[in-house]
Amino acid sequence: MSIATQSQSDLTVVRWQRGVPVFGVPVRTRNFYFLLALTVVGFVLVIYRQVAGLGAATGLSDGFAWGIWKTFNVMTLTALGSGSFPIGIAAWLFHKRRLHAVMRTTLLISLLVYFTGLLAIAVDVGRPWNVYNFFDIFRWNTMSPMWEVLWCMPLYCLFPLFLENTPPVLEQAYYFFPPIRGLVVWLVPIIRMTYPYVVALAYTLPMMHQSALGGLMLMAGTQVQALWQTPLLPLLYMWAAAWIGVATTIGAMMLSCTAWKLPMDQSILDELVELMLKLIKWWVIVRLADIVIRAIFLGQFFKMLTPWYLPMLFLAEMLLIAIPAWRLQRPEVRNNHYQLWMNCFYIVLGGLGYRFDPTTFAYRHWSRTYYTPAIAEILISLGFISFCIIAYTAAVKRLPILPAPVEQWYESEHYYKKIYPYIQLSGHGNENQYRPHYAD
Amino acid sequence: MSLSRRDLLKIGVVGGAACTLPAVAAAKEHAVTAPPNAVGMLYDSTKCIGCKSCVVACAQANNLVPDTTLDSIHQAPNDLNAHTKNIIKLYKGEGANAKEYAFVKRQCMHCLDPFCAAACPFNALEKDPQTGVVSWTPDRCIGCRYCQIACPYEIPKFEWDAFNARVVKCEFCGQRLAKNQEPACTFVCPTHAVIFGRRDVLLNEAHKRVKNSPGKYWNDHVFGETEGGGTQVLYLSHVAYNKLGLPSLPADEHPGRWMRYSEIAQKWFLLPIAIYVGIVAKLKENFREHEVEMNEEHKKTGLIPQI
Repeated sequence: MSIATQSQSDLTVVRWQRGVPVFGVPVRTRNFYFLLALTVVGFVLVIYRQVAGLGAATGLSDGFAWGIWKTFNVMTLTALGSGSFPIGIAAWLFHKRRLHAVMRTTLLISLLVYFTGLLAIAVDVGRPWNVYNFFDIFRWNTMSPMWEVLWCMPLYCLFPLFLENTPPVLEQAYYFFPPIRGLVVWLVPIIRMTYPYVVALAYTLPMMHQSALGGLMLMAGTQVQALWQTPLLPLLYMWAAAWIGVATTIGAMMLSCTAWKLPMDQSILDELVELMLKLIKWWVIVRLADIVIRAIFLGQFFKMLTPWYLPMLFLAEMLLIAIPAWRLQRPEVRNNHYQLWMNCFYIVLGGLGYRFDPTTFAYRHWSRTYYTPAIAEILISLGFISFCIIAYTAAVKRLPILPAPVEQWYESEHYYKKIYPYIQLSGHGNENQYRPHYAD
Repeated sequence: MSLSRRDLLKIGVVGGAACTLPAVAAAKEHAVTAPPNAVGMLYDSTKCIGCKSCVVACAQANNLVPDTTLDSIHQAPNDLNAHTKNIIKLYKGEGANAKEYAFVKRQCMHCLDPFCAAACPFNALEKDPQTGVVSWTPDRCIGCRYCQIACPYEIPKFEWDAFNARVVKCEFCGQRLAKNQEPACTFVCPTHAVIFGRRDVLLNEAHKRVKNSPGKYWNDHVFGETEGGGTQVLYLSHVAYNKLGLPSLPADEHPGRWMRYSEIAQKWFLLPIAIYVGIVAKLKENFREHEVEMNEEHKKTGLIPQI
């Protein structure tokens, strides 16, 4: 390779090195106001639901006691925010160092999705004033999956996930708000000291409550159709959450990079795709093996075929997962941004389908009561989702979250210096204070 | 402390095995047994005349507000609901069986191993260890409605219209049992189609009826003897039980069957704790390496490292 081409390739290969705010882009755009309006409508309707009661605000009935708040916002959508634990485990425990670059983004997505999931539970619960039972150990039924969801999800969201999301905020405060510097410098060693314990908790808790979400439908027994109902449901739910989360992270990173014209690091995207494909491959094998074993050895074959539309649904979700995963094995598909994004989109769709179907379509399929979500229900659900989106866009524009090449960091310094002349993002005099304590 | 990946795996496997093996052993002997003083009801559809006295008596005994679901007629609901804990329904045959009909009294079955109680996160629905009555405690219920999802008989009903919504289902007239009275429905039944007693006594009685008139009852079977591990409300009928809306559950269809494996993982949180300890051990080591690397990066570029 000649020197000329080498330098050329150095120029074209992008490496994500640091989290950098998306600078020079306004937060309050037209889309922002539209989504903000949806959010406000959603939150106003939350008040309406609290005053009017569940019956008036929702389409729920005794036949279908759980609506989209639980089945979609909590049991399905939280999978989107589960990217942080598989990526974190790959990065920290399996030495995939490069994946640290996307940690801040995936942690932010996790926080927002889980936070709105918690709100959805709070809105859905019919007797919220009795939540004090959480703290009465003598009333706990620890074997109930619902208990685990109700305890584990808030714990995860409010403790490890929250702490993991503080570094970008502290960092920004350090640069842009000098009076707080002393506090940040004092806090950072403490955060570093507790980090392994917090991070380990951040991997254990999602595994627990994501499997408990599968456990929720386990308790419905034979009321869930045999294609979905299996004692492995908790494991498959948790596992599906892992790769749905990774696919969502890829999709969100690519969307953000496209929307704000940021460079994409193909090597990290490749590594994420590899991680996702590994997870999907074994998930599909276990899922199919479980079905074959139950169909042949436990005689559930004919139960699986009725009613006719459920096997179709099963086929649709499996194909939505398997075909894109198969195609993504080829490097030319991965390197094509459009193809990569679309295939990740199909995988997320299939995964969400897998998590949604046993709660609604495959549940009590003989029932004569139908459930149609009320408009208020849909608007509240949409309000939560739009809240996630506006909070995400606002956060990445103000905080160093999205990864970028280090040149972007210097450019951002150049940009911010015009507005805040006192800031200094590079070549610090007091770096030593901020420098971590580490073993020799 | 330095741990290789293999050590971590060992810790995980050994720790996991150590805490799950006793649980596996316990999971196998998950047999359903009736409580020592299990009360019960025996409903014989062939004796029922469909007078609905029991529906009225139930509403009176439990202070239920009049059901006005239908226009111009009260106390005539078409199914159990938030104002109806007990109902007499009618099965009518179709086609060749057009003349066939049967009444059925629908109410809580008071399962020996109830799905609702296993599902309830804060034990608002509880099975009495003595009588086996499944009852609801208002101040424990957070209204998650998991009981409605889990119950295979679709019995618990939620007061959708109310602000302070309650979960409504037959509680075996607990206030009357406490006064040594039998439940209102069995008390008023004019034909003794539904009778009250100890579950074992009623089961004998049901078997006696089946034996005395062979072929009268469907498949000579007592519904509730084995269904879903057994129920405390027993049924006899001349038509197939699933025609009456009673699902044909296999004998092992109880929470234990489904939760057997997840219970293992959840028992005393031993498995999560083992995983947590393993991850912390490995993380500490990797974290130190990472910090060294970060510091070198910092020296090179002069930029403050990001966590």
